[in-house]
Amino acid sequence: MTSLLSRSEAAPRARTLPAGPLASVLGVLLLVALTAAVAWGSTSVPAGDVWSVVGRRLAGEAPRPGTNDLIVWQLRVPRALLAALVGAGLGLVGTAVQALVRNPLADPYLLGISNGASLGAVAAIVLGLGAGGALGLGLSGAAFAGALATFALVWTVARRGGGFAPLRLVLAGVAIGQFLSGFTSYLVLRAGDEQQTRSVLFWLMGSLSGANWELLAVPAVAVPAGWLCLQARARGLNALLMGDESAAGLGIDVTRLRRELFTVTSVLTGVLVAVSGAIAFVALMVPHVCRLVVGGDHRRLLPVSALFGALLLVVVDIVCRTAMDTQELPVGVVTALIGAPALLYLLDRRLGSGS
Amino acid sequence: MRIDIEDLHVTYAGRTVVAGAGLIAAEGEITGLVGPNGSGKSTLLRTVYRHLRPAAGRVLLSGTDLRRLSPAEAARHVAALPQERGGDFELTVREVVAMGRTPYKRAFAGEDATDRDVVARALADVGMARHAGRRFTELSGGERQRVLLARAFAQQPDVLVLDEPTNHLDIRHQVELLALLRAQRRTTLVSLHDLNAAASVCDRLHVLHDGRVVASGPPREVLRPALLAEVFGVRACVVDHPLTGDPLIAFDHRAPEPDGPDVPLSAPEQCSGLVPGGHTGERP
Repeated sequence: MTSLLSRSEAAPRARTLPAGPLASVLGVLLLVALTAAVAWGSTSVPAGDVWSVVGRRLAGEAPRPGTNDLIVWQLRVPRALLAALVGAGLGLVGTAVQALVRNPLADPYLLGISNGASLGAVAAIVLGLGAGGALGLGLSGAAFAGALATFALVWTVARRGGGFAPLRLVLAGVAIGQFLSGFTSYLVLRAGDEQQTRSVLFWLMGSLSGANWELLAVPAVAVPAGWLCLQARARGLNALLMGDESAAGLGIDVTRLRRELFTVTSVLTGVLVAVSGAIAFVALMVPHVCRLVVGGDHRRLLPVSALFGALLLVVVDIVCRTAMDTQELPVGVVTALIGAPALLYLLDRRLGSGS
Repeated sequence: MRIDIEDLHVTYAGRTVVAGAGLIAAEGEITGLVGPNGSGKSTLLRTVYRHLRPAAGRVLLSGTDLRRLSPAEAARHVAALPQERGGDFELTVREVVAMGRTPYKRAFAGEDATDRDVVARALADVGMARHAGRRFTELSGGERQRVLLARAFAQQPDVLVLDEPTNHLDIRHQVELLALLRAQRRTTLVSLHDLNAAASVCDRLHVLHDGRVVASGPPREVLRPALLAEVFGVRACVVDHPLTGDPLIAFDHRAPEPDGPDVPLSAPEQCSGLVPGGHTGERP
């Protein structure tokens, strides 16, 4: 009888798309966008050449002289891949942090990790640790060290009282993050010359201009590894959305899960910020948009967010490189310019839908 | 399966909320937990579905200490309907119910035929099958509670633990939800604010007061005017419900005096029944 009912008077359904086909479409679009990212720029490279250069390189053959091998393989491919990896990573950490603190508008930067990474990077630029290699770290190393130190600090504060409660985690993250960004501002003011200030600002806004094959290595491992860690906990993430008590009743060790999620998202955020600076809005927007399209189940949401994040950042980086003739825009500027209005639109839609 | 709670102590936010509570939820019965606000009902239930860890004492599931089971194992036996609303994350009704399968699934495992079957049956049991594709957050309060109950059913538990399941529901939805529980004939441990609902739906009641169980037994034996006065601080008389014959508690809403001294109220004599035109249990 119930099945009859379900056929004859089906109630309105949430409009979501099937995740499998959507992921395939996003995958194809990502390949197209990556090709375009390599082909377009101050020197145009035909798309056919892009793939022949990549094909020869992957096959281990010597590059053909007279082609754009250097531009394609040494400059644009690493940069396009970095954009894809950072975008995918931001999509993943955004999704996980929103479940971790049970707020669909949360952002991994809320937990202070990026402020720590920024402080590390800015300290390296201004105090010259990166240039001189005083600690043997370099800019990204300094940023990652800053991220890990902040993670330890936020962990220590948030765990007091037992449970990594969402509010406690956010308050600890925000407070510590603000504290650290105070230091960062002080260092920027102290910066010796205009060139230093410029490179600091560029870094703080988020940029992919430092891309090279060496820089790709760590995110190329960390992003897929992070995805696997999160995907394995997709059901736990779902359960957290309903509340800690519900999750406990579903057999989730909530405190342990929060600890694991906080660790995975912090390390991944640290890696991403270390290679590209704190790119605004992507981690907030991507899961939010994807949730509207495929729904809230993390088993689907995580892969779709990763793909969409990758696609978004590759496309935005094309704009950043080609919008102005004389110089490129930091990618974080464009994501903020797109992201803020998009967020307002989504909020409007959400409130307008009368839920 | 049954639940035995032995000398349970629970501290919450630095305060001892449950202080030596003991009770039994017998197999196949609906066991009710009543008591005033802050008496420790929710806290006690939270230890049964393992959101809180007891400071002392034990919760036994048919003789096995619940703490000796893994979280997932425990959740295959005990399912909860807590008092929380969750965030707005675009989950559909079906997705919420499918969460009930969590304790049965390994990492990366997809849904199999059994899961789909169990979820479909749980949705049908609460009459929400045709709403499976709707967003959870756009449901009414009564529909939400039914969906969360279906999620608990999808855990295929031996024991259901429900914390104030009728809160915020209008009277019709309260009646429907409690009828649904009765029809299940599962071992159920439920806290209820509404004493009349508790009297009609529960096989046995435990009255919690300041973290201890102060009375246990069938509703008719437990819900006496003297106890209502002492534990809840209200004047009431208990009569037979004219329709069902269940105990019906008629509260005196004029008392206590708002400015009066905070002294224990004297209990009126047990009333024998509703007498048209007359009253019983008058003020002394």
